[in-house]
Amino acid sequence: MNLAGLARRNLARRPVRACLSILGIALAVGSALALMSLSHSIQDGMREGINEMGDDLVVTQKGASDIFGGFIPERTIERVASLPGVTRASGELFMFAPSADGSSVLAQGWPDTSYLWKKVPLREGRVPDSGEHGVAVLGDAAAAALGKKLGDDIVILGDTFKIIGIANYTTTINRGVTLLPLTDLQKISHRPEQVTMIHLNVARGGAAGELKQVKSAIEALGELSASTANEMLDKDRNFAILDAVSLAISIIAIVMGAIYVLNALVMATQERTREIGIFAAIGWSQRRIMASIVVEGILMCVIGCALGLALSFIAALVFPYIPAIGNLVSFRPSTRLIVLVLMAAFVVCVLGSLLPAWRAVRMLPAEALRRI
Amino acid sequence: MYSENKTNSSSDAALESPPLIALRNVSRIYDAGAIAAVTNVDLEISTGDCVALVGASGSGKSSLVNLLCGIDYPSAGTVLWQGRAVRKQTDWARLRRTHIGIVFQEFNLIPTLTALENVELALFGRGMSTVRRQTRAAILLERIGLEARMHNRVTTLSGGERQRVAIARAIANEPLLLLADEPTGSLDSVNALLVADLLFKLHNDTNMAIVLVTHDENLAARCRRQIRIKDGHIVESAGMAFVAPSIVGAAGS
Repeated sequence: MNLAGLARRNLARRPVRACLSILGIALAVGSALALMSLSHSIQDGMREGINEMGDDLVVTQKGASDIFGGFIPERTIERVASLPGVTRASGELFMFAPSADGSSVLAQGWPDTSYLWKKVPLREGRVPDSGEHGVAVLGDAAAAALGKKLGDDIVILGDTFKIIGIANYTTTINRGVTLLPLTDLQKISHRPEQVTMIHLNVARGGAAGELKQVKSAIEALGELSASTANEMLDKDRNFAILDAVSLAISIIAIVMGAIYVLNALVMATQERTREIGIFAAIGWSQRRIMASIVVEGILMCVIGCALGLALSFIAALVFPYIPAIGNLVSFRPSTRLIVLVLMAAFVVCVLGSLLPAWRAVRMLPAEALRRI
Repeated sequence: MYSENKTNSSSDAALESPPLIALRNVSRIYDAGAIAAVTNVDLEISTGDCVALVGASGSGKSSLVNLLCGIDYPSAGTVLWQGRAVRKQTDWARLRRTHIGIVFQEFNLIPTLTALENVELALFGRGMSTVRRQTRAAILLERIGLEARMHNRVTTLSGGERQRVAIARAIANEPLLLLADEPTGSLDSVNALLVADLLFKLHNDTNMAIVLVTHDENLAARCRRQIRIKDGHIVESAGMAFVAPSIVGAAGS
């Protein structure tokens, strides 16, 4: 027998309490992981979505707080496209737009002549012809969520569009889009001759030196900011808020987990005061007695963390099948995040176990032995 | 007031070597002076000694034993182990781990563990591997006749068996001093006799000093010395002061 064996026996002695405490830790770890993964996944999904379009740079309004927030005059697209080093550029109007039945769609409007239409990975149907209006191409996840198929109508911002194509993008964000001709989206959203961002490619595959030159040239046009997808999302205020909120909630969840451990161990050590007196009476050092209590906390923490990790993976498997979540974000706990959350939970649980351990060894053994 | 060491003079050799453990003018007061459990006690126990502490309930016997093993601290006075004052809890813990064994009236075993594991607990902190601890615990349980029950949880054992497990645990580290606080107090007469015989056999087989707290005058009479406690004071000390052979030898060399 060793300290871990002793801790295991003690936990088995109070199975209900031990299970509830472990469940508390598991929920804390699971929810912390889920929250932080969701936050990261939203950002990663957006980044992958932009990358899937094959952009080297994205141009937004200078000082725009988020990707939905800025507007650029449509005529700027041509000025950007004519800059040295820019091989192609396409404007995009980007917004969440109300559809029928109170649902909303992630609507993207592209000019008729945009190269982006040519890159749409069609599963079925076609993309709009030049000058064609009142038509839409849906991402497959959006079509599935809305229950639409080729030839159906879809109502966006009160106007009806015929679905002429279903796209088969690979990233979650693009699988949920509804693509419209730019002029249609500008008209129904009352944003004539405006775009949210400009996608562009630069010569020589976007080498660092070339990118820098193009960025400088774009920013010299005034009121514009050119950045890679990563840079743009890192500056996005919405994502910063999302990160901060999920971090705060995760900290609260983990502290709650530690309080479960603390509560369980305080109760357990109070009940076992006499036993702690016995350990002292047979010569156990204070350090060893404290270690025996902390090991019990660690054991609960390890089981709780493993269970929490399993819960987060179950959530990762289940969430994509919930349309309200799966259509917008993919949920993937990363190894780095798992390690961070588990380390935080472990540290907090160990610290939580030290208090009852310290209380236990402060008592005189004779006094502890008198306790029932 | 009577002081035990004043009337039990030993040989010159014994006086030259410090006793195994000694209380010097020790008092233990509880509740801010309301209860004086032990008052100004002087007591010496030598290596190989066999001492019975006799007295009525509440006379201070158990308090005295608690002070002798450092699970309680004196309010005044000093406890000396082999001539050195012991004050720190860490020092007391080390002494209990290496040189002092304790047997309680209520056994004080860990109910979730087996007999073997309870004995094994006393061997923690000795730098022994798990296998060595288990082997040693098994040998001890065999020695006291509990080899057939060593893997049973202590809650399934009889009172006499539990007390024998407690004795095995107390002697696990081959202590120089065994303190037994009413070891037969919770047992029927047959088991009480078995446990008492076991304690005296262990004492006779080793050089271990025994301090036995008891109400039982017959049991006390089997000890070399009988010390009577009343209201926290030593009121009478009878029997022969013991001079350990090793101490005589050491002094004579």
